[in-house]
Amino acid sequence: MLVVTDLYAGYGMSEVLMGTSLTVKKGTVVALIGPNGAGKTTTMRTISGSIKPTRGEIILDGAPVQGLEPSYIARLGLAHAPEGRKVFGPLSVEDNLLLGAFTRLPRFFGFHAKAADDLEKVYNLFPRLKERYRQASGTLSGGEQQMLAIGRALMARPKVVLLDEPSMGLAPVIVDEVFDIIRRLKESGITLLLVEQSAKRALEVADYAYVMERGRIAVEGVPQELQKNERVIAAYLGN
Amino acid sequence: MDHAVIQLIVSGALMGLVYALVAYGFQLTYATSKSINFGQGELVMLSAFVSLTLTNTGLPYYLMIPGGLLFGVIAGLFVERAGVRLALEQKSEGWILMTIILGLFGISAAENIWGRDDRPFPTPIPTEPIQFFGVSITPLEISVAVGVVLIMVVIELFKRKTLLGKAFEAVSADRDAAELMGISATRTIMLSYGLSGLVAALAGILVSPITTVGPTMASALVLKAFSVAVVAGLESGFGVVIVGLFLGSLESLTSFYVGSGWREAPGLVLLILALAIRPTGIFGKAVIRKV
Ligand SMILES: Nc1ncnc2c1ncn2[C@@H]1O[C@H](COP(=O)(O)OP(=O)(O)OP(=O)(O)O)[C@@H](O)[C@H]1O
Ligand SMILES: [Mg+2]
Repeated sequence: MLVVTDLYAGYGMSEVLMGTSLTVKKGTVVALIGPNGAGKTTTMRTISGSIKPTRGEIILDGAPVQGLEPSYIARLGLAHAPEGRKVFGPLSVEDNLLLGAFTRLPRFFGFHAKAADDLEKVYNLFPRLKERYRQASGTLSGGEQQMLAIGRALMARPKVVLLDEPSMGLAPVIVDEVFDIIRRLKESGITLLLVEQSAKRALEVADYAYVMERGRIAVEGVPQELQKNERVIAAYLGN
Repeated sequence: MDHAVIQLIVSGALMGLVYALVAYGFQLTYATSKSINFGQGELVMLSAFVSLTLTNTGLPYYLMIPGGLLFGVIAGLFVERAGVRLALEQKSEGWILMTIILGLFGISAAENIWGRDDRPFPTPIPTEPIQFFGVSITPLEISVAVGVVLIMVVIELFKRKTLLGKAFEAVSADRDAAELMGISATRTIMLSYGLSGLVAALAGILVSPITTVGPTMASALVLKAFSVAVVAGLESGFGVVIVGLFLGSLESLTSFYVGSGWREAPGLVLLILALAIRPTGIFGKAVIRKV
């Protein structure tokens, strides 16, 4: 569904990605882990189009998308819940969700009715968002904002979801909640690329995983293997 | 307060609504792109000339309203394309100079096409004052107030009630995140410049029958709108109305009690005060963020 081959990208003069390759098969959850500054966020931002790659190929559902505008890539079926949530603070929870489905909805009137089913699904997944549907999203707690960011991404009925560090800055109980949701989404057949600091949790939920170091994939494999890999244990799973 | 004072406040406030409308046009483009059209006054003036010309073509008189507004939208889109887009793409402040230059072109064009003289703008709306509790207001002045309030309400409803309007707000709040939702920031910025042109054209159509139409008719107007925008801040549409009303009244009181030569003083003093107190005011934020 998503195939990244030999990707090079960076910020101005500084190259960050130096030949990254990864594949996310339809209906699987793939984890991308690695130390701070390895280039995980940069990988996601390059896939969703905010950063233009200098080399390499990104295939989304069979079509090359590298170098396209982010809004165009989104229309092709990619949803990116970015690092730091990035909810539209002044807008209400429900407006944030509706905008998640922007590409599918009529621009002027009748958009609410057309999105009703999807709204209900997201509210079922996150009852707390339903309670606060009229609240300005900037005033939500960090955990609620993360849920909103995930819900907003789901509203697009995307083919592939990129989720960048959903546990960042959250209390352990809330992190558990977020990972419960990810598990439920996995059962419902989501295609997900997950970046996560907490390698342990990411490997628990993933079908396949990549370990990124300094802009390249250093190790890859199914979680059961990685959990036995001494290098991975030493660097990320040590206790 | 005696009636004379109230009378001065009311007629000044009406003019203040026009400042508010032009300031609102600044807010619209600032929200999406952190840029404004420094040639907004020329856009007001050119739209007024186009509308005036339409009234002389033998077409039904009121066709000049949609005609002038359409011109304003197209001119706004042109300013975005020719003066702003490239600069924004390169994250430069070049739009400041470009929009000033486009404005100067606008003045030359007007002088060449319509001449330098001020012309009256005929109107079928009566200018005979009506008395309200001892304050006299002309139907023409009422039409200005109604026009300003109507367009602002319509645009605010658009922003809150339609999905496209919400997308407009989303781009204002976080441009990159909006792009991730499939919202094109470029198109949203175009939309904001189109709306800003519409608002400027309406301001021109509304004031022309009261003032006159001439190449420099809007240079003072736009400076005061600028003061209003700086003082009210660039976010709140409600704020510009309040500050606009205040400045308009203050001007009319000043020109009556101090002398008509001092009419422009309050706006300038307000601007200087605002810049002294909030030096990062208007587009300062954009510059600071860049550094
Ligand atoms: N906007 C930027 N401009 C310049 N350099 C940047 C920018 N964003 C990130 N970098 C650099 O790119 C490198 C990779 O950053 P990136 O955010 O992709 O890492 P990451 O793997 O997501 O790290 P983390 O786990 O801390 O989120 C870092 O060295 C960082 O300093
Ligand atoms: Mg990161």
